[in-house]
Amino acid sequence: MKHPNPRNKRAAAVVGIGHTDWVADWARCRAGERPNDSYGYGIAALRNALADAKINRDEIDGLIAGPTTAYERLGELTGINPRWGGQADAVLAVSQAVMAIEAGYAEVVALVYGNDQRSVGTQYGGPEAMGGGAFLSYVYHSPWGFTSQGALYALTLQSYKQARGFTEAEMGEVSVAQRGWSSLNPNAIMRKPITIEDYMASHYVCEPLHLFDYCLINDGGVAIIIAEAERAKRMTDKPVYIEGIGRFDLNARATSLEPRIDDFYLPAQRAAAEQSYAVAGLGPKDMDVLQVYDSFSVHVPLALEGYGYCGIGEAGRFLRESRIGPGGALPTNTSGGHLSETYMQGWAHQIECVRQVRGEGGARQVEGARHVHYTSDVAGKCFSVIYGA
Amino acid sequence: MSMMDAVATPRPVMGLYDAPMWDSIKAGAMQLQRCGACENWLYPPGPACPRCLSCDLVWTPVSGRGRILSWVKFHRHYLPAYPPPYNAIAVRLEEGPSMISNLEGAMPEEGCIGRAVTLVYATMPDGMVLPRWAYPG
Repeated sequence: MKHPNPRNKRAAAVVGIGHTDWVADWARCRAGERPNDSYGYGIAALRNALADAKINRDEIDGLIAGPTTAYERLGELTGINPRWGGQADAVLAVSQAVMAIEAGYAEVVALVYGNDQRSVGTQYGGPEAMGGGAFLSYVYHSPWGFTSQGALYALTLQSYKQARGFTEAEMGEVSVAQRGWSSLNPNAIMRKPITIEDYMASHYVCEPLHLFDYCLINDGGVAIIIAEAERAKRMTDKPVYIEGIGRFDLNARATSLEPRIDDFYLPAQRAAAEQSYAVAGLGPKDMDVLQVYDSFSVHVPLALEGYGYCGIGEAGRFLRESRIGPGGALPTNTSGGHLSETYMQGWAHQIECVRQVRGEGGARQVEGARHVHYTSDVAGKCFSVIYGA
Repeated sequence: MSMMDAVATPRPVMGLYDAPMWDSIKAGAMQLQRCGACENWLYPPGPACPRCLSCDLVWTPVSGRGRILSWVKFHRHYLPAYPPPYNAIAVRLEEGPSMISNLEGAMPEEGCIGRAVTLVYATMPDGMVLPRWAYPG
């Protein structure tokens, strides 16, 4: 391990979380309404997070806007003039908040995300697919009809099945398990339990991915307030510390998707895992709950292998025998995740980590959860974040 | 149906370095940039060799031989020019780079990963030429 910085360990803690009513907004969007725009959702979530933290907006001195709202406009609308700020996706926002706090640029950072993707019809595939400016792979292959985020992961799953002997039914274990969790979550949009038979019978969108392997597309917002550790202790009885963060990116040959279909992100996941485990002084055996960025179900077996929860080639057996659903050995995506709860692009996973550590998971609470591990591998940018009591 | 009426094939991303590749495809002999310093092949085209950062890049014909790395089958209608079902494959070129394309003349199936394929040039209904791949012989 190269230079893990122990100063990052428990330098900051989450003191407030908030979100919007995904279930109600889902119904309204399906009825053709536009309940809010992205800013409106973000601000509604921020209000809830401030209430949860029991603080006034004036205590915020750092602001991070999610990728779907402009930073300056969000600051204008929330009336926040911070001494430090920026724009980032979910896990980068958590990491930047910790960095700013540890460097002394801010003490109480609000992370705000809102997305009106359902009501405005944001396209993740087809002629109007988004993302080309940031990721060439999202648009470069369209002359061959190759479009959509799902296709990128379908290609990953196909070569993963071949390389590891992973089966279609084993893939189905992920969506079945997550629906098991979401059936216990009143905030989840999809709550009807499904079986492996339902999964196998469901139609393909981009084969080998079935409908149930895809995330939802819905409107909503999430906000998180992260404070410097000593201040956090004065603010709440239940600070949830960020124990350690690790990151490693695979960019070489990314447009032709080789980090996914050749390497399954494994080298990056291992490097990110090693850094975060070294900073936190913890390993996979210490984790009570795992949360995986699951735009598609295939992220889960890749994470199980990449972060050391099972050996290489053992994810299929792990999913079948050890299990990740309610009552399983490794509770994973306990809210239902992107597949069944809400697609908040990793933001809702952060607040589920916090709830589980606080013991506020309701019917889905994992008894005695102390350490919760979040991982993401969006486009080969692998992150590992460990939350702890 | 005349070419004028044909559904448009999705346009390629045309950055500053892409045009010579598409010109060579139209001529039926695909070329990619090859690094004059370290002999690394580039795909997609770009300003410098990612391996050694040299800008000495030479447009060079590819052998047209490759192997299937992975495949998918689209069941949803995303693009007007591509009614489902249709396939896409990832191919590792003999020269090193891999590209996303289509398998011509057959649907990919279980066990086809690793199979040899050769480059073919498909003329789309609107006249655009696409590099695709087929099983040899």
